[in-house]
Amino acid sequence: MKKLMHYLMLSCKRATELIEKKSILGLSWKESMQLKVHTTMCDACSNYQKQSKAIDGILEKHVHDEEATPLLENKHLKENILHSLEK
Amino acid sequence: MKEVLTAVVLIIRYAKLSLMQQKPKNKMDAVMDLSNPAKAVKCWVELYSDKLYSWAYYKTSSKETAEDLVQDTFLAAVTSFSKFEGKSNPQTWLTAILNNKIVDYHRKIVRNPVITESAQNLPDGAGLFNANGSWLKEQKPGNWPSTSEHLLDDNNFRNVLQLCMGKLPANWFSAIQLKYLEEKKAEYICQELGIATTNYWQILHRAKLQLRKCLEMNWFKK
Repeated sequence: MKKLMHYLMLSCKRATELIEKKSILGLSWKESMQLKVHTTMCDACSNYQKQSKAIDGILEKHVHDEEATPLLENKHLKENILHSLEK
Repeated sequence: MKEVLTAVVLIIRYAKLSLMQQKPKNKMDAVMDLSNPAKAVKCWVELYSDKLYSWAYYKTSSKETAEDLVQDTFLAAVTSFSKFEGKSNPQTWLTAILNNKIVDYHRKIVRNPVITESAQNLPDGAGLFNANGSWLKEQKPGNWPSTSEHLLDDNNFRNVLQLCMGKLPANWFSAIQLKYLEEKKAEYICQELGIATTNYWQILHRAKLQLRKCLEMNWFKK
């Protein structure tokens, strides 16, 4: 039993690593068991997992959201480019 | 009855098509004269440089970089003008060129991180966990009331997100941008970058820890 517990135990830091690894590379069977056991017992890491997923969704949208980008004027740049095109 | 319906559908389709064809044509004529690349591109500078600059700025968090990338985009537009077929909108075409340049920029940063950055030398997750790897009491992720993507409709949230992204060390920021911009498998991104996949997800892990904390402090717990 002790051995089994030791096998399944993760620190919170390691759990957050696995949460990120899961979304990027996927987990091995052992890792995914370890993570499941940990998040059922640990509220903080279970919150982290939900939030990490939410941030993924938000960034995914944010990174492609051209239309929503506030417009910044840059006359200086405009003139510079027009000038360099003259050459 | 059936035939009448089919006819009506056909008429509607035809009307839609001709409308769709007319619209961009008129706009295009005003926007450019394809026989003269230099003149057309100058016209595009007037029309799109601010938009492209804003986009590049939000993608790189650096004014100088954004200016350089936009300038390069227009120069590239002149030299590869023959590849532009009036079919697509000039803004779409220019944005595609710019996006390639943005990806190249982020790749360079991840490949050659600036070592002087303070966070770089900190151990993984410093300030969040104790020596055993348990959350420090005041650092435990709390419950967030709402985490929907509609948060992005709120300008205040976008500002906080931008602020938190800007606080990340440059190579973490770039790694995050690449992850979501490229929409490719991690293995491919790492191959392109010439770094180990372990290295890549560890950077993303650190970046995510810091970003999450910043969002919690500045938005979700305010």
